[in-house]
Amino acid sequence: MISAYYFGAIALILIGFYAVLVKRNVLKMLVGLSIMETGVNLLLISVGYVSGRSAPILSEGIGPSNAVDPIPQALVLTAIVIGVATTALALTIVINLYEKYKTLDAEKIRRLRG
Amino acid sequence: MNELALIVFAPLVAGALAWLLDVKGIKEAIGLIGAAVPLAYTAMLYERASEGISFAVNLGVFDITFRLGQLNWFFVGIAVLVGFSAVLALVSTAKDSYEWLFALMSLSGVLGVFLAADLMTFFIFWEVMTFASFMMVLHYNRSASLKYFLLSVAGAYAMLIAITFIYAKVGSFDFGAVQTVFAQDAYAKMLGGQATFSSTELMALFGLFLVAFGVKAGMFPLHVWAPDAYSETNQSYTSMFSGVLSKAGVYGFILMYILIGTRLAVEFGAFRSASKFGYIIAFLGGLTIIVGGLLAALQEDIRKLFAYSSISQVGYILVGIGVGTALSMQAALFHALSHALFKGLFFLIVATIVHRTGKTTFADMGGLAEKMPFTFAMAFVAILSLAGIPPLVGFASKWVLFEAVISQNLPILGGMVFFGSAIGFVYLIRFTYAVWFGQRPTDLDDTKDAPLPLAIAMTILALFNVVLGIAPGLVAKELNKMFGKEIIGGNLFVLDLGFGKYNALAILIYLIAGLIVAAVIYFLGAKVRRVPVTDTYQSGNPVTMDYNLTIRRNFFLPLKEALAFWLRISFDRLYRDIGAWVEDLAEVLRNYIYNGNVQSYAWYLLIILLILAMWGV
Repeated sequence: MISAYYFGAIALILIGFYAVLVKRNVLKMLVGLSIMETGVNLLLISVGYVSGRSAPILSEGIGPSNAVDPIPQALVLTAIVIGVATTALALTIVINLYEKYKTLDAEKIRRLRG
Repeated sequence: MNELALIVFAPLVAGALAWLLDVKGIKEAIGLIGAAVPLAYTAMLYERASEGISFAVNLGVFDITFRLGQLNWFFVGIAVLVGFSAVLALVSTAKDSYEWLFALMSLSGVLGVFLAADLMTFFIFWEVMTFASFMMVLHYNRSASLKYFLLSVAGAYAMLIAITFIYAKVGSFDFGAVQTVFAQDAYAKMLGGQATFSSTELMALFGLFLVAFGVKAGMFPLHVWAPDAYSETNQSYTSMFSGVLSKAGVYGFILMYILIGTRLAVEFGAFRSASKFGYIIAFLGGLTIIVGGLLAALQEDIRKLFAYSSISQVGYILVGIGVGTALSMQAALFHALSHALFKGLFFLIVATIVHRTGKTTFADMGGLAEKMPFTFAMAFVAILSLAGIPPLVGFASKWVLFEAVISQNLPILGGMVFFGSAIGFVYLIRFTYAVWFGQRPTDLDDTKDAPLPLAIAMTILALFNVVLGIAPGLVAKELNKMFGKEIIGGNLFVLDLGFGKYNALAILIYLIAGLIVAAVIYFLGAKVRRVPVTDTYQSGNPVTMDYNLTIRRNFFLPLKEALAFWLRISFDRLYRDIGAWVEDLAEVLRNYIYNGNVQSYAWYLLIILLILAMWGV
């Protein structure tokens, strides 16, 4: 039986991917990309979860033996930053596209480009 | 410093020096020294060739090894002789130092190929030779050089695959080791045991070698690069290109016999009186003779005519190799020597004509015999030699070859080689008549004779044509040494095969006597009528003006019309069509797949992920 975390995360990835594949508006594609990122991050986190353990911060009563896996959390911390950076860059490109072509429809932009 | 290393690397070093210095006079001198050193050393090593000299350098990954035996000495002798003449001719025709570099580099390459003692060395020098000759063609014509390059690369890859294949199973590049393994395989196969190579692998190996060496030798249907490459480069260089570099392919075929011949013969059995795989080579050689000869007859350009004729002559050598008896092998080697001699001479003559007149087509020439008497004399020797008229070297080698084919009762191959000889006359009469005799166009009235370097180069080759023709026993002795027994008997002037004799000296004496008789009759006042050039007949009728076939224009138009159906079948066009088709396919794929739509790339990603998921990665 697949766990709800996995199912939800993969569903998010697929929803985002669907937006990238079939939407014609460039902004909606970007929204799809962001949703995909969220899904990937969730999936990464849920891979490292061990049921019944707490956050991996060494403190009173919590040793290495009763904390969840810290490695995916470090990975996700990096991945979030990368996601934000790529989104910001893509948004600047979208602004430039709109200034140049006066539309955000990918099909029309391709036709205008020739 | 070992002699073999000097022989192989001297031209390369000299070429590099000539290219670096690039001072008029000095670069020519350096280049000549670079070509003369191998010539001198090869002559010095004549006595020691039978004992076998070796030379090895370890490069860490593999060794570069050279070995000089009888067979290698024979080929190296051809290469240094014709190579030296070609380099000498370059003195008067080379455009710049670039040509010195690459002409000498290709000489180094071909010497390395002939002296190599392991497959890796063989391949490396093969590539050096190909690259240098490609650069020579590139200097004159880009499209011809690219055609040459493509076919050469196909051949080289075929050879490389075959070599790695052999290495993977044998574990050594050395010729001796490879030969031993294949010989053991042959015995094992005969006794019904297990062999290292299965018969499918062996067939693949044979096919790969056939492509690799066939390209370089100009075997039908891989000959399409040769006419363009031979005609679109410095004609002095072409005498080496056609005379020596095409022999590398021939040497490759002989090497294939030495290395894997036993196993091939056992595996594929016999066809008539030749082995089956040899018959394939011989039959392709026969087709090469016919196709090359017919196309040579239809050319309107001197350079193209001799390029096709060169292809046709290499066909003879392939027939000799393919028949595969000791006698036919000797005939093939003999013809390789004589082909290098007369074809080298022919291209030097063409170089002289092109250098002095700047024209290449028959239509612009005529009556040059009066203006260039020395070159005409040389051309006379070359024509007699190529047409196979005694007492020149071309006759001796062709005669031995015909005898070898006939004695094996191979009627189809026999018909092919005889047809080739007949068609040889057809294209030579054209060259003889259209260039040297007839009316001279007025713009050729101040043509000078050959420049000195070219004249010396031509004289060297012509002398060898005559001397080896009158004394074919000299060559026969060398060939017999290679096989270790007397296959072609006789003495210095007589070739004796046991079922036929050819006495060159007697024929020479008869010829001179006949010429004297003819001269006596002429000077005693025979009836002579001067024939005007327009006095031509067709089936006994005078030719009308609307069907004007002078020797200089469309002389073989009837032949062309008769062959119209066959001329439609052209391998050159086929390869070009395949090339165009591949380009179109690539263009279509690019348009449909790489279409600039981001979303379709995302779809590709999804599809690939799904495929991976289904595979369970």
